[in-house]
Amino acid sequence: MFNFSITPLGNLFFGLSLIVFLSLFVVKNENRSPLLHIILLSSLGFIFYAKDLITFFIGWEVMGWSAYFILALTAQKRTLQKYIVFNIAGAFSLLASIVLIYGFSGSFLYDKIDFASTPPYITLAISILVLIAVFVKSGIVLFHHWVVDTYEQSNDIFSTILSAIISKAGIFAFILFFSQLITFEYLETHLFTFVAFMGVITSIIATFKAIDEDNMKRLLAYSSIAQVGYIITILAILSSSAFEAALYHTIIHTFTKLLLFVNIAAIIYITGKTKFSSLGGLLYIYPLQFILLVIGIISLAGMPPLGGFSSKFLIYTTLLQEQQALLLVAVMFSSASAFLYCYKLVYGIYLGQKTSDETYKKIPVSFYIPQILASIILIVLGIFPNIFRAMFNTILESLNLDTIIFTDIFTLSTSIGSFNGLAIMGGFAVLFIIILAIFVSLKNKTIQTKDRYDISYCGEVPDESSNLHYGYGMGRELKRISFIKVILENSSKYFWQKVENITKDSSSVIKKVYSFDTQTVVLVTFGLFTIVLYMGAN
Amino acid sequence: MFFDSLMMIILAYGFGFLYYGLYRNISARVHGRFGPSIAQSFFDSIKLFTKNNSTTFGWMFYAGPVIMATGAMLTVLFIPFLNSSDSLVGLSSYGNLIVVLYLMVLGPLGNALGVGSNSNPFGVMGVTRGLTRLIGLELPFYIAVIGLMVANQTIDIGVIMANQSDGYNAFSHPLLFIAAFISFLGFMGKSPFDVVGAPQEVYSGPASEFSGKFLALALSQSAIFSFAKLLLMVNLFLGGADTLIDLVFKTFILFIVAVFVGDVYARLTTIKSVEFLVRVPTVIGLVGLLWV
Repeated sequence: MFNFSITPLGNLFFGLSLIVFLSLFVVKNENRSPLLHIILLSSLGFIFYAKDLITFFIGWEVMGWSAYFILALTAQKRTLQKYIVFNIAGAFSLLASIVLIYGFSGSFLYDKIDFASTPPYITLAISILVLIAVFVKSGIVLFHHWVVDTYEQSNDIFSTILSAIISKAGIFAFILFFSQLITFEYLETHLFTFVAFMGVITSIIATFKAIDEDNMKRLLAYSSIAQVGYIITILAILSSSAFEAALYHTIIHTFTKLLLFVNIAAIIYITGKTKFSSLGGLLYIYPLQFILLVIGIISLAGMPPLGGFSSKFLIYTTLLQEQQALLLVAVMFSSASAFLYCYKLVYGIYLGQKTSDETYKKIPVSFYIPQILASIILIVLGIFPNIFRAMFNTILESLNLDTIIFTDIFTLSTSIGSFNGLAIMGGFAVLFIIILAIFVSLKNKTIQTKDRYDISYCGEVPDESSNLHYGYGMGRELKRISFIKVILENSSKYFWQKVENITKDSSSVIKKVYSFDTQTVVLVTFGLFTIVLYMGAN
Repeated sequence: MFFDSLMMIILAYGFGFLYYGLYRNISARVHGRFGPSIAQSFFDSIKLFTKNNSTTFGWMFYAGPVIMATGAMLTVLFIPFLNSSDSLVGLSSYGNLIVVLYLMVLGPLGNALGVGSNSNPFGVMGVTRGLTRLIGLELPFYIAVIGLMVANQTIDIGVIMANQSDGYNAFSHPLLFIAAFISFLGFMGKSPFDVVGAPQEVYSGPASEFSGKFLALALSQSAIFSFAKLLLMVNLFLGGADTLIDLVFKTFILFIVAVFVGDVYARLTTIKSVEFLVRVPTVIGLVGLLWV
């Protein structure tokens, strides 16, 4: 029957899932389907704690199906079709690789799988098949076609699970297959160089698509794709420091996305609006929500002094150590461009002008619990960037990789440099308080607090009908920059439409053979039977 | 460490305003005017700090300029002023080049948040332009910096400085220097890659709604921040400075070149400047990077 073993890697991933599920459980959610969520969580347990490939695959399939049923409560038919076609293709690809692994090493058990006697081209084929499954789950470019619509149309709370946890199943599969099952020496390095570039191209494309988005959830979906792109890029470097950076970024991304998705879920719950063009000016109604979102975007953009910087730092230094300068340039470029969508997220919802005079009620306290939890973790990781390093070392040890030497809990050190989280956070806090104190103590005789229409507006006085919220237009001018225009105007949609047409055409050929016409069926069956008999005789 | 850091900030503040005054004076002469006195910007800032009137749109409008100033000062603290010296180092031993690159974005974020809360759509238009231009500026600059980090196999600014005792990086990696310098012009807010940030007269810059002490803080941080950028360029490409006089000399040369270029060229639109930046300096930088 099923074989399980408790591993440090499984503990990390299942622990993250458990935290996300439990913290979301308290959030007010009308379309809750507890049974399906429990099935989903246990399928994740199967994936993360499996000891053999069959258990792993069953978990993988159940995860895909239970997510499908939860999605089916809210999503449109076309989105569901996309989801199921891509995920089944990914699962089949994974199954094919599992069958090949069994065929050549004679076992499904992780411990007994050995690639020493497997021909290199078979190992390559297995790697490609596993990578397809990983790419589908993590939404790497071309395979991301299902991701954005699914995130947008699923229940607001379930989007969090999709982004924070389900996309990480792909990361887990990558680590499992390409370190524990197939050790580095049997892997084809050129293939993984290609994968690294695919990851970073994914991040760049997704970043610009996110900037152009008017829908909050779609923006966050693209941002998820971009962040997982970084993780895939760094994993494809295949070294122990790269794996450490990837695990770190996985943790950061999980909590950042937990915070951001719950934050916008609260806004959608209160206002019923999902577009930046119809929101705006909520800062002074929901100040706590605003502060939490700012913590989230600072972490998402990877800026010091929060935890997001620590994981970005490890990614950069690993790429530097491995002399991957081009990859580093691309990752840093994508990361710098991400500021624009981070700012759009905070401006579109909370800053600028209100677009309507509706009065909104209070946000239920339950929405704050996961957000505050996540923001505390992100702040703590900013001050103590080394807090998880001992755990990473246990994981790396269990995967038979080199461990990382670290000194104190405040200094995140690598072989080419280090930084002290406490110094950055402390410096920031001290300077901020001193400047604020001086600034506030500068007494003004009159401080006017202005009305929102009382602004300098080219010498004119705006009235109620003037559109003063810039949320919708933000990022629109990017389309005029030629290289960004190319990214924004092209879409994987056209590629998959072509694939769909070709499939339809070729299926008409298959239909000729495999029709419901009894005569043909009998003929084909007879033909096949003859071939089998002939092969059996030889 | 506290007095050391305080000294760094005071020096950056002083030099920042000195250079800003010089900039106004020199460009006036280039344009055939006399221009204000060198200390005029400093007096302006004092005047604005003590103004009786100021306008606010709420607490985020307060916090924005403060975050901006914090970002600028923290950046200064993480860049050592002098080559292998124990003084004027601030927090630089706790950070590195990547930390500095990211701290440099903290200021623009504070600015964007402050301006965003002021309800004027034109301010945010300016911020969006600024952030869009930042995408273009950062690409060649990052390429150049990554080139240096790969060549030196370190991310420590002090080590990169010390490694230049045989020859400045500007001469040993000329292509990287050119790429970084073109970006640097934009970072310094000089034409052709600047974005209008005019404090008073133009209604489409980030600072358009700041008045009184808010504007004063915004101007002070921009003076400090300009000096931080000059300092970073000197440390990375011109071998750092051994004494304060050396530092003034090197930063002044960089500064004067930037001022002259800015005075001669007309401003490009944001779109055109990003297109130029991702073509010319980026390609130069990439060739330089492959050369490394």
